[in-house]
Amino acid sequence: MATAMPETATKELNQQIGLATDGSQFLTFQLGDELYGVDILRVQELKGYTTVTKIPNTPSYIKGVMNLRGTIVPIVELRTTFGMATIDYTILSVIVVVVVRDRIMGLVVDSVSDVLNISQEDIQAPPEFGTKVDVSFLNGIAKCGDKLVALLNIDRLLSENEMQKVMTVTA
Amino acid sequence: MSNDFAQFQETFFEEAGDHLAVVEEGLLALEQHPEDLDLLNKIFRSAHSIKGTSGMFGFNAVAQFTHKMETLLDLLRNGQKVVTPHIADLLLKSTDCLKLLIDAAKTGSAVDDKTVHRLTSELAAASDTKVKAEAKVEKENRSSSSTALASTATFLIAWTPPEWLFQRGLDPLQIFKELADLGTVSQVTVDTTKLPELAAMDPEKCYLSWTMKFETAKDRQVVDAVFEFVREDSVLSITEEVKGKELGVRGEERPSPLTPDGLEGEPKPLGEILVETGVVSRETLDHALAQQKRVGEILIEQHAVTPQQIEQALQKQKQQGSTAQSKKSETTSIRVDTDKIDKLINLVGELVITQSMLSELGVRFEMSQMPVLLERMAQLEHNTREIQERVMGIRMLPIGTAFSRFPRLVRDLSAKAGKKIQLVLSGEETELDKTVIESIGDPLTHLVRNSADHGLEAPEERLDNNKPELGTIRLNAFHAGGSICVTVEDDGRGLDRDKILAKAIKQGLVSEHEKLSDDQIWPLIFKPGFSTAEKVTDVSGRGVGMDVVKRNIEGLGGAITIKTALGKGTIFTLKLPLTLAIIEGMTVRVGKETYIVPLLSILESIQPKAGAMKTVVGRGELIDVRNTYLPMMRLYDVFSLQPEFTDPAKAILLILETEGEQVAVMVDEILGQQQVVIKSMEQNFRKVDGIAGATILGDGTVGFILDVRGLIEMSRRIVPVAA
Amino acid sequence: MSKTALVVDDSPTMRQMVALTLTNAGFKVVEAQHGKDAVAKVAGGPKMDIVVTDLNMPEMDGISLIKELRKMASFKFTPILMLTTESAADKKQAGKEAGATGWIVKPFNPELLLNVIAKVLPA
Repeated sequence: MATAMPETATKELNQQIGLATDGSQFLTFQLGDELYGVDILRVQELKGYTTVTKIPNTPSYIKGVMNLRGTIVPIVELRTTFGMATIDYTILSVIVVVVVRDRIMGLVVDSVSDVLNISQEDIQAPPEFGTKVDVSFLNGIAKCGDKLVALLNIDRLLSENEMQKVMTVTA
Repeated sequence: MSNDFAQFQETFFEEAGDHLAVVEEGLLALEQHPEDLDLLNKIFRSAHSIKGTSGMFGFNAVAQFTHKMETLLDLLRNGQKVVTPHIADLLLKSTDCLKLLIDAAKTGSAVDDKTVHRLTSELAAASDTKVKAEAKVEKENRSSSSTALASTATFLIAWTPPEWLFQRGLDPLQIFKELADLGTVSQVTVDTTKLPELAAMDPEKCYLSWTMKFETAKDRQVVDAVFEFVREDSVLSITEEVKGKELGVRGEERPSPLTPDGLEGEPKPLGEILVETGVVSRETLDHALAQQKRVGEILIEQHAVTPQQIEQALQKQKQQGSTAQSKKSETTSIRVDTDKIDKLINLVGELVITQSMLSELGVRFEMSQMPVLLERMAQLEHNTREIQERVMGIRMLPIGTAFSRFPRLVRDLSAKAGKKIQLVLSGEETELDKTVIESIGDPLTHLVRNSADHGLEAPEERLDNNKPELGTIRLNAFHAGGSICVTVEDDGRGLDRDKILAKAIKQGLVSEHEKLSDDQIWPLIFKPGFSTAEKVTDVSGRGVGMDVVKRNIEGLGGAITIKTALGKGTIFTLKLPLTLAIIEGMTVRVGKETYIVPLLSILESIQPKAGAMKTVVGRGELIDVRNTYLPMMRLYDVFSLQPEFTDPAKAILLILETEGEQVAVMVDEILGQQQVVIKSMEQNFRKVDGIAGATILGDGTVGFILDVRGLIEMSRRIVPVAA
Repeated sequence: MSKTALVVDDSPTMRQMVALTLTNAGFKVVEAQHGKDAVAKVAGGPKMDIVVTDLNMPEMDGISLIKELRKMASFKFTPILMLTTESAADKKQAGKEAGATGWIVKPFNPELLLNVIAKVLPA
């Protein structure tokens, strides 16, 4: 045991070769210059940005609905949700299709970065400042190399306010 | 029941439903034609099927009850009993009970044991079971006295099979193989003395017989079972070699697992036998049963378990019961004619061919081939449309399934109300979406009850009015354009204009001075709380109903209208969509958005003249449509959109109607008319005010289908703000 | 080569249950709704290794079917099992006289069905 690699080094190596350690995998994406992550197990698929039909009388962060192979899927604009300035979405914009309590929803993000392995112990409680996001929407903050990733609690995020209605009205 | 047949339960319940319908229909017809043997056979077969199949799933209550019915039916069919009104009635009641038992098996709902008990004994009484009962007691005694021994035993077997053994597809070799699998066969001798000369030998006959010693650890009955199919026709002796140890009392003829004698052979509860043989009365038995303790109580008394343990176990039992129940009610299935599926497969085949022709064309396409391309595209369109229609057709069922409950209902109603009523059904083969059929059952029932109870007069009254004593209720279904019409018609007294008006005034639904046309008066009976019955009966006239009927029909995207003539009768017409999955819609544009308006709710579209619009303080905008003022709604207002036109004179007004209310909805432009497939918004999002659902438009984007009712309500809410 | 079975029952539930059990056991199954249907399906057609038939059926009942099949050269020695709820001796007797190899009394489970088939199926 004396010659065993230091624990941190093993972890880094694992991260490099994409092996999951005791942590979980997160899909990370960009909103402005910040990096966010969602648990990969919650992600159903990624889709290029397509035309979204606006739903009358819904708040602006509900961007509308899109046709996902015949299913009507609501699209949530994360920028608006987090109070960031909106941008014009381009073909580079991505819709992250996630599953929240048996419902399929799309999250519009600027671009998708990487899939990262983050072990439990690298996740810290979210600080009270430093992100534009209400900390209650975060599971935590993780440091990954030189990057800081805010890990989203999508159940929470998508069940606040308007989405709360979504969840309860038809549940 | 833990075998892999469980997956067929859903199929069984559907099939059982069909059989019940056959039985009920048959019994009703049997009342008219008690001597119809074909009918009896048909009823018997259905009952028999329910019995056999329900047993497969361990639905013993169903199986046992059906068995009782079957026994009586069998006697009727063999002419040992005749169909009397009493028997027909008993069988009908039993059918109702059976329905409940099957429902109970399906959903775990409770069944009134007393009814089951009473009908069971009534059926038994009607079937005169005296002789059978004695036989059963004997059988029970025999089987209950048998005991099993586990150690090995040696049997001496002598077997002379019948000559024709082979002709029944049997082979002695099979028997020996089976014996060899169960134990050790030794000292086999073959008796060939009966073997004739070769010339005289029939190769299809068996001339041989055998004796052997057979050692096995298996039970005697397993050995018996080996010879199950030949025993009765063979000379067979199987004797156990006594090895100086007590054999115990063993039943001679205990039915092997292969022949548990159907249900008849299943050991009956002791009490049942005592009652059947007249040893005790039913009352005594019921009393005794009521004093019986539950297993749990006995175990507690014997200190085998603690009350807490029992409590926990019961809790668990309850949970298992309830989860099983909720699981069961989830799935629905649909049975489809093989024909329909075969046609669909053929069509898909064609589609594949068209597709491959198209892709071949695409590989090396030249402009000169344009006509070919267009032709193939047309073919593709044709294929697709036909497939769409056929797939929709899978959900279509003949409306007869919804009609089938009425002969019975009308029979009971006429008996209860003391009226003579005949029911005439037509158009039963008209096909309708399964969901629609399931949803119109209750509204139709209410209308039929209404006709029987209020519509048709009492026999004396009919005779006084020179009408035949026998009243008629007619149910008819037919295609009308893109919809299905179902009519409920009676030749009764018709709606009374004055009575309805008086009542409406009394209830404050209309004012005394309003001048109303007939067509405005009849729909008043659909108002909540309105009921014209002078006295409340237990059949209908409880003040709820007609409004619910209307709401249900409109909830399906349908409409209901009334035609009536005083003293002649009333016709209710339900106009229903063919399917709930597809609607015919008009696509309209407001600003950049496209919406679909259900065609059924559009009365007309107009381009209003300048100045046709009036503003009424507090009541919003009104528009003059041929001298009637209708409330006007600007869709862009309700949906907060940027329109192209804000001036009604430049825009288009759609006059929409729902539930008797009309409204003019302003849009920029009408784009066209098309069939759209309705998609759920609620599946992943939620209900949105003013929107009934979504659909995929031709360009692949999502379009919304307007909810006319919802829009009217929304406009009422926003009007005060706008005004 | 897999064995073939003819399953005849007017009850779709029963028919499917038997058919599926046999299919899972490696049989190629031909299904028929009643006697007439069965005769039509095997007339001049494939030889079956086993026949499982219900007795009470419309059009042509099981007893008549067994008689019909036994008249056909290809079914002369084929094991034919009847599915029955009646233990009544007359049904069993009628079946045997018609040429039925054996019977299976409902209710049964897949295991029993396969056991009985194994019992009569020629090796």
